[in-house]
Amino acid sequence: MRSRLSLPARLARGLFLAVMLAWSVGPILFIVMSSFKRQVDIFVYPPKLVFTPTIDNYLKLTTQWKGFFDAMGNSLIVALGATVLAGVVSFLGGYAYSRYRSRLTLWTAVYMIAVRVLPPIVVTLPLFPVVDRLGLGDTHILLVLLYATFWVSLNTMIMKNFFDQIPYELDEAAYVDGASEWQLVHRILARLTLQGMAAGSIFVFVFAWNEYLFAMIFTTNRAKTAPLILSELMGAVDGTEWGVLFAGVTLQLVPVVLLVTLARRYLIAGLAAGAVKG
Amino acid sequence: MHSRPRLTTWLYLSPLHLLLLAILTAPSVYVFWLSLNESSYGTGLTFVGLDNYRMVFSDPYFWRAAVNTFFVVNGVVYVELVVALALATQFAAGVPLRGAMFACILMPYAISEVVAVLVWKMMMDPSVGAIARTIEGMGFGMLNWSASPTIGLTLVGVINVWTHLPFTFLMLYAGLLAIDPSLYEAAQIDGATRWQRFTRITLPLLVPTILIALIFRLIFAFRMFSEVWLLTKGGPARLSEVLAVYLYQHGFRYGDFGIASATGWLMVLGSLLLASVFLFAMQRSMRGA
Repeated sequence: MRSRLSLPARLARGLFLAVMLAWSVGPILFIVMSSFKRQVDIFVYPPKLVFTPTIDNYLKLTTQWKGFFDAMGNSLIVALGATVLAGVVSFLGGYAYSRYRSRLTLWTAVYMIAVRVLPPIVVTLPLFPVVDRLGLGDTHILLVLLYATFWVSLNTMIMKNFFDQIPYELDEAAYVDGASEWQLVHRILARLTLQGMAAGSIFVFVFAWNEYLFAMIFTTNRAKTAPLILSELMGAVDGTEWGVLFAGVTLQLVPVVLLVTLARRYLIAGLAAGAVKG
Repeated sequence: MHSRPRLTTWLYLSPLHLLLLAILTAPSVYVFWLSLNESSYGTGLTFVGLDNYRMVFSDPYFWRAAVNTFFVVNGVVYVELVVALALATQFAAGVPLRGAMFACILMPYAISEVVAVLVWKMMMDPSVGAIARTIEGMGFGMLNWSASPTIGLTLVGVINVWTHLPFTFLMLYAGLLAIDPSLYEAAQIDGATRWQRFTRITLPLLVPTILIALIFRLIFAFRMFSEVWLLTKGGPARLSEVLAVYLYQHGFRYGDFGIASATGWLMVLGSLLLASVFLFAMQRSMRGA
């Protein structure tokens, strides 16, 4: 037990935590509550905390803005694709950086982190015409490649640190038993680094699910993601349709909020392995 | 225990480096070439040397964007760091309903920038927003962020802190968990006060983590685009642009790839400069381990 705090210190601490709680949850609560309000109740001041909920906004969303659900589907495809791609790539890279070392691997690792700091908007300029020529404009695969690339550096570091914790004797034992390197990697080590993969996957999934810049520049129609369509609706709605927009936003944010809050253990483990140690 | 890399080692590393090469390195190198040329949609490249850089440096809008970026980045990053540190130390010391509190603090991490802008825009709307009206009711006047670039950029900063605080908090918290608890017990036996324990044990041991969190956030805030673009579109009269928005305007609106690429390359240099501290430390730690 730590030493007891004085009363004013305890009050100050309680106030600080209460403010941080309101700051973090307040805006999200505002969205979710507004999505269940009638149009006339949304902008009542002071805001009503108690009201009769209605699902009209959600019904309208399904009938009037069908494009939104296609965009949610696109977001899911792109986010899952990027998560899997980044997972496989960082798993293999993390293994190699954990078990092998030379001057060259060292410098490629530094380079790997260094390119990660490039601002995304810079690469959009030259990629734009190339993507067009390759017929990759407005496709899921392009977004998958872009999103995965921006996370493989950190995730490889995370995986390297998880591989580092597995004693090398295990590798040797497997080799003595006649296993090939590939068998060792994908049969034995893969199972032991699942926690690292889970941590990395959450970072990629959340990023890909929410990303705006690349989606805006590289998709026009078929591969449009949910954040992009929400941003367009935000600019287009007139005074009468805010509730419908809030319903869409609620559907977009609830799955990831659940994911992040339920998987917080992995987020801490991932950051501890990737950033704090790295 | 490390082996020398074999041919297969590079096979394991190849997907990683192919992705980085195709999507990050090659395009950035090409941006440098583009920055030395004049070009637009459907025109070829005309080599102009450093002309684009000269034009960028003599453009008052560029300097406006650079100054805006500087103020927003610094404002955001330091405020966020202090709050995150306070929050992380509270959590490490133990808070009531820890699991639920932790989940709540993390929530904004899951929110898209688009949604963050949308909700803050609503709450800060001068005529209907709940927060804006409360501020007005308290006698601070009307916060018309669409007409004033300063208030607009302040709101951008608030939104940026809102979405990124959980990440900084998590990093610092992970760093705090790595501190050996027996140090605190020893200090307590020696009669150190709470504040002494914080300044003599926590802070010095947390410095590496704080530094990493700081650099991470500087780099991420430096590339800020969506918040500004979705909130003010850089207006009024291009006065609230940041560097990424300036680049976007020139590249995708005015079709002036030379100017956009020169700006892009300047942003690359800026980011690398910020990151060099971190890279230097990382290279040393990998060599040492």
